[in-house]
Amino acid sequence: MSSAPQGTHSLAFRVMRLCKPSFHVDPPFRLDLADLCVGEDVFDDPLAAANLPPLLSTQLSKSTDSSDLTYGNRFLLHHPSDAMGFSGLLLLPQSFGAIYLGETFCSYISINNNSNFEVRDIIIKAEIQTERQRILLLDTTKSPVESIRAGGRYDFIVEHDVKELGAHTLICTALYVDNDGERKYLPQFFKFAVANPLSVRTKVRTVKETTYLEACIENHTKTNLYMDQVEFEPAPHWSATVLKADELHPADNSSTREVFKAPILIRSGGGIHNYLYQLKLASPDSAQMKVEGTNILGKLQITWRTNLGEPGRLQTQQILGTPISRKEIELQILEIPSLINLDKSFLVHLNLTNHTDRELGPFEVWLSQNSVHGEKNVVINGFQTMVLPQVGAFGSSDFHLNLIATKLGVQKISGITVSDTREKKTFDPLADVEIFVESD
Amino acid sequence: MDEPSPTSDPASPTNQFGSLNDLAHELASLEDLASRGSWRSIVDKVSRARSLNLLTRPHDHLIYLSYNVLALSKLRRFADASNEINTLDDFNSHYYKYETYPQLYPNRSGSMIPFSLRFIHAQLPLKLGNRQEGLDRFYLLLKFIREKIKEKESNNLHDSVGIWKRRENFVLNCLIGHHLGDKEFSLCLDLIKDLINRDYLDPVLVSKLGHIQMQIGDIEGAKGSFNRVETMLNERKNDEYSFLSEVQFRNLVNRNKALVYLVGKDYVSAVREYEECIERDHTDVVALNNKALCLMYLRDLSDSIKVLEKALERIPTIALDETLVINLCSMYELAYVNHSEIKRTLNNWIIHVAPDDFDASCTRV
Repeated sequence: MSSAPQGTHSLAFRVMRLCKPSFHVDPPFRLDLADLCVGEDVFDDPLAAANLPPLLSTQLSKSTDSSDLTYGNRFLLHHPSDAMGFSGLLLLPQSFGAIYLGETFCSYISINNNSNFEVRDIIIKAEIQTERQRILLLDTTKSPVESIRAGGRYDFIVEHDVKELGAHTLICTALYVDNDGERKYLPQFFKFAVANPLSVRTKVRTVKETTYLEACIENHTKTNLYMDQVEFEPAPHWSATVLKADELHPADNSSTREVFKAPILIRSGGGIHNYLYQLKLASPDSAQMKVEGTNILGKLQITWRTNLGEPGRLQTQQILGTPISRKEIELQILEIPSLINLDKSFLVHLNLTNHTDRELGPFEVWLSQNSVHGEKNVVINGFQTMVLPQVGAFGSSDFHLNLIATKLGVQKISGITVSDTREKKTFDPLADVEIFVESD
Repeated sequence: MDEPSPTSDPASPTNQFGSLNDLAHELASLEDLASRGSWRSIVDKVSRARSLNLLTRPHDHLIYLSYNVLALSKLRRFADASNEINTLDDFNSHYYKYETYPQLYPNRSGSMIPFSLRFIHAQLPLKLGNRQEGLDRFYLLLKFIREKIKEKESNNLHDSVGIWKRRENFVLNCLIGHHLGDKEFSLCLDLIKDLINRDYLDPVLVSKLGHIQMQIGDIEGAKGSFNRVETMLNERKNDEYSFLSEVQFRNLVNRNKALVYLVGKDYVSAVREYEECIERDHTDVVALNNKALCLMYLRDLSDSIKVLEKALERIPTIALDETLVINLCSMYELAYVNHSEIKRTLNNWIIHVAPDDFDASCTRV
């Protein structure tokens, strides 16, 4: 809060940030009389056990009788939970505190007339100045305050959703006519800085047709953040499901399970929480999907709450998946037999898809010899090159490769390569596939 | 003037438990001073009793020491309180057992240490800023209590079991308070869950759970807890929750409702709920204080100040609370450019009315 320079103005602004109040917590020195007036094991004595309670409870009533000038309530317990020091008494915000992007800035503004004379025709304005813009919060130009008497006050409350980082200034101005008939102008400035409350790191992994998005939210604020809602809004044609771990305490007493579910709280100053989403393309066959370049998956909408439910809201930028490169030809393995015996040939079912709008082929399929993994233990049985006929626009063709494994155990089928013999184009080989070779 | 102990049959209950003075030398006077908040007088009285050798029996010394330690703690002289406790041997020493003095305490055995000493011993480091030591002592105390409960149970001492279970409940509540103050919310929730699982399910506790959930921001969780409390009120049988009067129970439910409105920024409805509480019980300080805050959030600073000033005027011994005074002073600072005078007036009034343990620095004068 700041006051006007002495002597020049009749009016002065007083400002108080009005974020939510907080509960006062202070475990007190409050006791039970039986813990103070007698030894702790005295109740083992049946005489004491019978006679002490009535004596002590009479004394308790006397000491806490509110009609008498007694402060017994400040040192005796009424209810065991009094020991918590958490009565539900609310405390006004005692300092400006930190303010973060996504929160709402709320302030009580009081304009006081601390002179001995009335002032008239007061036009009050409150604005927020950021690096990029000036936002008007209040303007009484159209209906000026007629007058404020000596010692009087005019109050208002302003709110502003904080959407920018960095330096902010609350500018309060009053244009008024003072007792001498002079028009005076009073500007007052209250500065504060807005910081970033969270950072979000994402990782994208694709497994077959499913994309997994892992989002890690880190809390940079000085308070714990209660994650009220963290929702992934998928881009068009994508659908998203959040994946959660199973309940960790299935053996919970049902009365406690009713009472509450464990909230997601991210610790202040660097705490993190991870979210996992499973994303699927809504219509995988749609040709529109195969657009070269970036692959936009969607955005994360985050709503958090701090003290007494004070909300904050942020949205991430668009999250990108792995880029799709234009593929003319797609080769995939559809089926491998579950039982593969040493030195016995087996058939692998493959599919070749033409993603272009023109006929391609004929093709040749073989196992490439440049093996990074040493000698090949899985080879083609028979002709080393398979010839496939042309495949029409957006068409596909199924075929089988006859392979044979020459070594036991975990082996790799590597280097299945396809090339277009007409266009003389060889495509990247298929990724290695592991198989398990058993003896007869 | 002090009297020598009665020489008649010590087994007669009226001789031992007729009045507070039967429990310890001039205990009634100590207790009276304590309930008036005259902690400085207690320190003087203890000092005088010691220097005049008025304390003749071991338990007198211990009880006077307990009052002294409590008084020093109340006066925020935590280092002095700590030193005083340190003059004792280990709490479990045989010097503090009834059976060590069979002539003074025939047919009695066990520890004569007032339990409050153990509690204050655990809480003092926390007030002195030594958090880890304090929490360790509290958790060790909890373990100690649980061993005592087992021991009493195996000896069929039912009344003692009840007393020690109450102490267990008490220590758990202290721990929740300390963890709450340090914003260790998950731990608080776990501890309350523990209490509820032990059948310490009661509406006041569930309300506090709701308050903690509100503090965290788990509004739906809080509403669930508050609904539970309301159900307990509506469905309670005759002597269930007898520690709460009808008025107290209803006010509890209204205050919980008010909180939900307040958090949803519906301050008008919150004020209405608090007013219902105040009408039922004009000494409901929580309702009065919180109503004042709601008025302020409704831009009515003048009325919010009036509510707090009237409370202090009409029910000073109940309303005089540091939090309420801090709120009033914050309102003065906002309402008046030259607020020092009005705060000084308040401060002077407080000095005349307040108990010794009232922290007058809260007026920031």
